[in-house]
Amino acid sequence: MQGHRGLRRAALTATALLLLVASCSGTESGPSAEGTKPAENVKLTFWTWAPNMDKVVAGWNAKHPEIQVTVNKQDGGDPAVTKLLTAIKAGSGAPDLMQAEYQKIPTLVSADALADISKNLGEGVAGHFPETVWKSVTLGSDAVYGVPQDSGPMQFYYRADIFKQHGLTVPTTWEEYAQTAQKLHAADPKKYLGTFSANDPGWFVGLAQQAGASWWGIEGESWSVSVDDEATLKVADYWGGLVESGVIANLPMYTPEWNAALNNGTQVGWLSAVWAPGVLEGNAAATKGKWQMAPMPQWSKDQPATGNWGGSATSVTSQSKHPAEAAKFIEWLNTSPEAVQALAKVSGIYPADQPGQSAALAAPPAFFANQPDFYKVAADTAKTARSFTFGPNVNVAYSAYTDQFGKAAESKSKAGFTAAVRAMQKTTLDNLKSSGFSVK
Amino acid sequence: MSSSSIRRRSVAPYAFLAPAVLLFGAFLALPIGYAVYLSLRTVKVRGLGLGKGSREQVWAGLSNYSKAMTDPDFAASVLRVAAYGVLVVPAMLGFALLFALLLDSPRARATKFARLAIFLPYAVPAVISSLLWGFLYLPSVSPLYYVFGKVGWEVPSVLGSGSVIYAVANIAVWGGLGFNMVVIYTALKAIPTEIYEAAKLDGCGEISIAWRIKVPVVLPSLIMTFVFSLIATLQVFAEPVTLRPLTNTISSTWTPLMKVYRDAFTRDDLHSAAATSVILAVATFVLSFGFLRLVQNRAFSQEN
Amino acid sequence: MTAKRSSPISTAILLVGAGYCLLPVLWVLIASSKSGTELFSTFTFAPSTHLFGNLADLTQYRGGLFWRWMANTALYAGAGGLLSTIVSAAAGYGLAKYSFAGKQGIFNVLLAGVLVPSVVLAVPQYLLLAKLGLTNTYWAVLLPSIISPYGIYLARIYAAAAVPDDVVEAARTDGAGDFRIFRSIASPLMAPGLVTVFLFQFVAIWNNFLLPYIMLGDDKLFPLTVGLSGLLNQGASQPSLYTSVITGSLLSILPLLALFLTLQRYWKVDLAAGAVKT
Repeated sequence: MQGHRGLRRAALTATALLLLVASCSGTESGPSAEGTKPAENVKLTFWTWAPNMDKVVAGWNAKHPEIQVTVNKQDGGDPAVTKLLTAIKAGSGAPDLMQAEYQKIPTLVSADALADISKNLGEGVAGHFPETVWKSVTLGSDAVYGVPQDSGPMQFYYRADIFKQHGLTVPTTWEEYAQTAQKLHAADPKKYLGTFSANDPGWFVGLAQQAGASWWGIEGESWSVSVDDEATLKVADYWGGLVESGVIANLPMYTPEWNAALNNGTQVGWLSAVWAPGVLEGNAAATKGKWQMAPMPQWSKDQPATGNWGGSATSVTSQSKHPAEAAKFIEWLNTSPEAVQALAKVSGIYPADQPGQSAALAAPPAFFANQPDFYKVAADTAKTARSFTFGPNVNVAYSAYTDQFGKAAESKSKAGFTAAVRAMQKTTLDNLKSSGFSVK
Repeated sequence: MSSSSIRRRSVAPYAFLAPAVLLFGAFLALPIGYAVYLSLRTVKVRGLGLGKGSREQVWAGLSNYSKAMTDPDFAASVLRVAAYGVLVVPAMLGFALLFALLLDSPRARATKFARLAIFLPYAVPAVISSLLWGFLYLPSVSPLYYVFGKVGWEVPSVLGSGSVIYAVANIAVWGGLGFNMVVIYTALKAIPTEIYEAAKLDGCGEISIAWRIKVPVVLPSLIMTFVFSLIATLQVFAEPVTLRPLTNTISSTWTPLMKVYRDAFTRDDLHSAAATSVILAVATFVLSFGFLRLVQNRAFSQEN
Repeated sequence: MTAKRSSPISTAILLVGAGYCLLPVLWVLIASSKSGTELFSTFTFAPSTHLFGNLADLTQYRGGLFWRWMANTALYAGAGGLLSTIVSAAAGYGLAKYSFAGKQGIFNVLLAGVLVPSVVLAVPQYLLLAKLGLTNTYWAVLLPSIISPYGIYLARIYAAAAVPDDVVEAARTDGAGDFRIFRSIASPLMAPGLVTVFLFQFVAIWNNFLLPYIMLGDDKLFPLTVGLSGLLNQGASQPSLYTSVITGSLLSILPLLALFLTLQRYWKVDLAAGAVKT
């Protein structure tokens, strides 16, 4: 009966593991362990993907025993929104607090996932943020669906050492950017000034935003969709030309391939946002001290502008039973000097809070220690960020972006790039109409 | 074997089946029913769609089905999966059969090592195996391209538009080969060795024994592995999804299940996703139905 | 004794197959010894010396969360596999050893469960479990993992092949009840096959991604697959933790490897036993 003994052993092992894990988790405050405590403490759960947020929150928990916040780290913006929307449909399972990227707020509001906290916030909260940023949490209405946490104004990051080696100057206009890309690639065919990434719709939105695009709009009681506006077509046509001529790479960012290219110096520049130092440090640590940051190349020199890539607010979900306490917490998190300082230092994000920003970001990031004015340049460019309205079906537009620009980038055809924009417009508009939204 | 199953009238068989049937009902039948229900409904938004009460669920009739059937992305994904299946299933089962026969052959060495090594990928979750192969596919981090570079060959990226289907198929073959090999090997081990002795006396060589005796005997197992591989092929999902961020060539609707996923999770349209899933499940059923019948007749003929 | 002569060609083909299957695993082993920079800058198969540093980094990640994921996975796969085996064994035995009204119908319906992909089921399962307030708990992953059409199918084959009718009849004549016969006579006879069912389901749950991904919001409940995917997908503004993912992948394969080595002789998956054993 060898087999029988084997089975029993397997069963015993499994049971032992079960008991082990059960005993480990016994002390954990699961959703089932509520209501038995004598003190009437409020417990809030917080879904976020910002690194080390639990350490920032610990500062609040120490001072507010009556409102305890537990951080549940998520996989990043898209998965967290997916889960939240599922929980909203199910009627239970949503956290109290949620990190929400600006572009997702209309989608979440449209799904009735976020609570209006306008009545729970202190008087001066709106004054802490630039007007364009505040608008993304109000959607232009009287309601307030969150408090801005961070923003991602875009800049141009480049390898100063390689620029010097090839005698290149930092491009200040897009025309110069194209010439620099051409020169660099001619000097060393392995090297590229950048890549057109069909996997990063947020990046492309930042570029379009800089050129003056705004893909959605509210006109009275109707939405308008203008993905194929002149500005976006101009940007797509420009990049299509660069990719077609082969002076810019066409492979997506955030792949092992791209990381290797950052390390070995074949990707010489990166159009990125203020959080870029953290990514470069994580993926290409050995290139420390070789990078510099400059404002974005411009379409028109006398009207400096930039776009945003990333940035998020903290919101209270519609399933929270303690919206007042939750609002109190997010006001502290995103506007108190102490928390803003911690967000910048511990979590490594670029706070949207204007009063606290300069104090929190006195020194440049460690990876850019060679550029003492890093955050000054960042703040100057941030002021030039154009406004951009997001709609309730951003995900549809974004997935159309990856599909359509994936095809265009793969075929390396300039015509394909503008066709991709038109296809995105059609998909986005059709989806909005067929869902029943009133569309102009 | 003469069959004299227990033919008493009693509640016992129902009691034995009760836990399985209950769980099946709760976690498969009910969700399936719910999915069918959802496929007949849709969400209608009013006005700007902002604020409470601006959306409601209404009956949609079969409109979700007609939308799915006429969607060119869906048709393209079905054709792609058909081509993918033609690549994966024969390659996987062919190699599984070859390795099983070699393991069973008295003349091969290192069989214990090879058996474990070939079975090992079964232990690697698809999410992780796709990540690993992804590294091996990307030219600047791949040892294969390193070798090509040294030899001076210009090999285009495996993740390019023409070859990406092979790249995905390779991961599926890698992951499924070992399990199918074990299934076939198990069937081979069940053959009484006297048959071989007799064949050898008749002057049959190893290859002809394999072809004339072993393959026909393991045919039922091959049919079963074929059915299960077919179902797995129609449900291909994790591999292309994990490879997708690495390349421009895998769209969000690359396979039918990816379209289901995109509709449900990216577009937040459960109703279209449910309709596509129902179509997919019915198609899988139709395709495998004939095989399943065959299997039941063969595998369980001894019971009654 | 010509058959004992070894054939270099057969051996070579087997070794090529083994090499193909080992290649990515070997790569993880080597890659997990590299530092973050080396991963993207040195030759892919050049090992380095940072394995212990990477292990320490992974262990330190959010207070040892990785090991919690490992324990969770063991719980999901161990308990889920065990319960699944018991349920499958009972169902398989009932189907193989009794004839009763609706038998073939029940079997067909149970087996048809194979046809429905988990992507399709994930959302309805979530919505239904949410009604019971069970989402984001261990139960949300455990309960749906217990039912396994494959397990029932295999158990039916094992019961048909391993439990002779006359033994059951003899026990019944001695006055044993149906349940006692199943527990004390049939189960031991089916045991080797049931170990296979257990292993089969254990691996399936160990490798499962989508169900826990949808069901769980609290990362303290995550299994390895979901946890590692989170390390990889940090969002655009954060670097992916490649070294931790790779080291974690290696560690996540090791327990299954150990299980394969120790229980290798149970890996006999006879999908069509009835057809050959006449």
